[in-house]
Amino acid sequence: MRKLKQLFLTAILSAIIQPINVSSATTKNKVDIRILMPAPFADSTAKIIDRFNRHHKNQIEVTVTRGPLETESVSDLAISSLLLGDNPYDILLIDVTWLPKYAEAGWLFNMDKMIDNSEWELLIKGARLGNKYKGTLYRWPLVADIGLLYWRKDLMKIPPTTPNELFNISKRLQKENKVKYGYVWQGKQYEGLSCVFLEVLSAFGGEWITENGEVKLNSPNSLKATRWLQSLIKSGISPKAITSFAESEALQSFKAGQSAFMRNWPYAWSELQKDSSAVKGNVGVTVMVSDPKYSSTSTLGSWGFSILNRSANKNESMQVISYLTSESSQKLLFKEFGYTPTRKKLFSDPILLKQNPILTNLKKGLEITKPRPQIPLYAQVSDILQRELSTVLTQKHDIKDSMNRATYKTRRILNSYGID
Amino acid sequence: MSLILVLPAIILVILVFVFPLIRYAWLSFHAVSVSTGLVMVPNFGANWSRLIEDQRFWQDLMQTTRFTAFSVTLEIILAIAIALLLDQRWNGRGIIRAITILPWALPTTIMALGWRWIFNTPYGPIEQLTQLFGIEYLNLLSIPKYTWITTVIADVWKTTPFVALIILAGLQSIPNDLYEAFRLEGGNSLQALKKITLPLIQPYILIALLFRVAQAFGVFDLIQVMTGGGPATSTESLALYSYLNAMRFLDFGYSATIMLASFLLLMIISITSYILLKRLRLLTVK
Repeated sequence: MRKLKQLFLTAILSAIIQPINVSSATTKNKVDIRILMPAPFADSTAKIIDRFNRHHKNQIEVTVTRGPLETESVSDLAISSLLLGDNPYDILLIDVTWLPKYAEAGWLFNMDKMIDNSEWELLIKGARLGNKYKGTLYRWPLVADIGLLYWRKDLMKIPPTTPNELFNISKRLQKENKVKYGYVWQGKQYEGLSCVFLEVLSAFGGEWITENGEVKLNSPNSLKATRWLQSLIKSGISPKAITSFAESEALQSFKAGQSAFMRNWPYAWSELQKDSSAVKGNVGVTVMVSDPKYSSTSTLGSWGFSILNRSANKNESMQVISYLTSESSQKLLFKEFGYTPTRKKLFSDPILLKQNPILTNLKKGLEITKPRPQIPLYAQVSDILQRELSTVLTQKHDIKDSMNRATYKTRRILNSYGID
Repeated sequence: MSLILVLPAIILVILVFVFPLIRYAWLSFHAVSVSTGLVMVPNFGANWSRLIEDQRFWQDLMQTTRFTAFSVTLEIILAIAIALLLDQRWNGRGIIRAITILPWALPTTIMALGWRWIFNTPYGPIEQLTQLFGIEYLNLLSIPKYTWITTVIADVWKTTPFVALIILAGLQSIPNDLYEAFRLEGGNSLQALKKITLPLIQPYILIALLFRVAQAFGVFDLIQVMTGGGPATSTESLALYSYLNAMRFLDFGYSATIMLASFLLLMIISITSYILLKRLRLLTVK
């Protein structure tokens, strides 16, 4: 029966997946390395993979599986394949929030012995986060993504640094009819809302889950953060529809010149420089605002390569990963696709700096970036937060009640894990 | 001999229906999650007691039932009207029949994405219309009280053709002589509809109802793409909740419990409504 199930699932999987390069392993000693990546990554790394395959003719042949576009759908695909038992991939490109879950399930290979400490030292601070679980290295970063605050250079001289300033500038610009909205962000009930909230939380000195597992969602500071987010909608600074906005909706609004500020990832920068953008040349980038008493944070959203435990070719896999994350690969990915580099050195590269001035801001962001709670049950915990936040933002529910509930439920989830 | 002849069918049913159900039932009495290292550990009904206390399950059940009731009712009413229209003889009927089927032929994910943009604030055509009339934005995808209605509209748009197709088949099975005889006896069209058409297509409506209720109760892709279950979890269906538990939370034991519970509840709903319809003599088919 199990065989049958596997056969069935394999058939489905192979129907969904379309490999970019159909490998033609003819030579006996040639090693096949298969990688699963979300579609955008598969497209952007295609050139580098080609080059690798040419350089390693008759030795290693890399095949990339072009996964779905949406982050969580890639995880679904990866998980289905991992549950099959008969594993079709050697390497997975994984999101920072999946790592603890995958590691705990025993799917990821311990990379500690494969990577020299000197290599580790070459990474910029923010890029080092989110690769280890319980002190073991399971992932090597490809791109360091962080949350940024985009602002309009034509509407103000300097960007705001505190939540109050952002609020007041927005109000003033709206009153002067310069923009329809002050600030657009990701308010839909999904992972993006957790990312936004983590930044606001830090801005007011609040915390989600502390290092020693305490849930602080209903602390006075956390309540203040939630209230601020709610006030953005109440005061009309953010549109009511913000509670259905994901990244693309926010980008569209900002790109059309409707809004003075936007919270988004680095990818938005190149979109805003296109000719179709109404704000081309008028966009500045900075880190998230924060109360002067506390430090600003940007949420870490990085992607990296993990080797699967079931892979038969771990050394060759590591070779591929090193190549894909090498200095020259990172330069190419930054130049052509705006992927934030992970190596310290590249942030002071004069050619790159000249080409793309936001590199300085990215560096700043990577110095203050924070990962979301690194626990195997992160998906549950984030789901609880998203639900309660969405309730507060859409229904004028009592903030204290909602955050108390979120705290209680999160504690219960964490406890259930501790007991088991 | 007869047993041998039905054996292939029985094996098939066991394979695709009975086996998964037993497997789900078995799973629902075990903890299988990240916490257990994905190993099955018996937990003696803990999943079930958790389900009974799980407010989210009951909220999702109410939402799924509401979604099913409204979309299936609307679909049946509209489909009868459309089928009656398509059953008439008029020029260009063939083309219109083909066009009517189109929404059903479209992949759900694609049409759900389309509807998401139709209801989008501020860029969707609906909001553009409200702007034209100077009304404030409706924010249909952001208000928990109303968002579920948009999913019903999308579902009705998508599956009415399917129901209409079944009912149209029913209409075509009614011999024309019946209507002619009825007219000779002095009956008018409205009476014909009530006395001949509706009673005779009843078995077809019932089949459509059966298909649609089961399908709508298990709605997943439409909701996942259109709203992702939000805002404030107001549109989350049981299937979506079960999926979240399996694929996101890696909690397979609880996911199986949700799925099995919704299957059992669907059975109960179907059987009671069948008995109820019989009692009320609304149902004449055996």
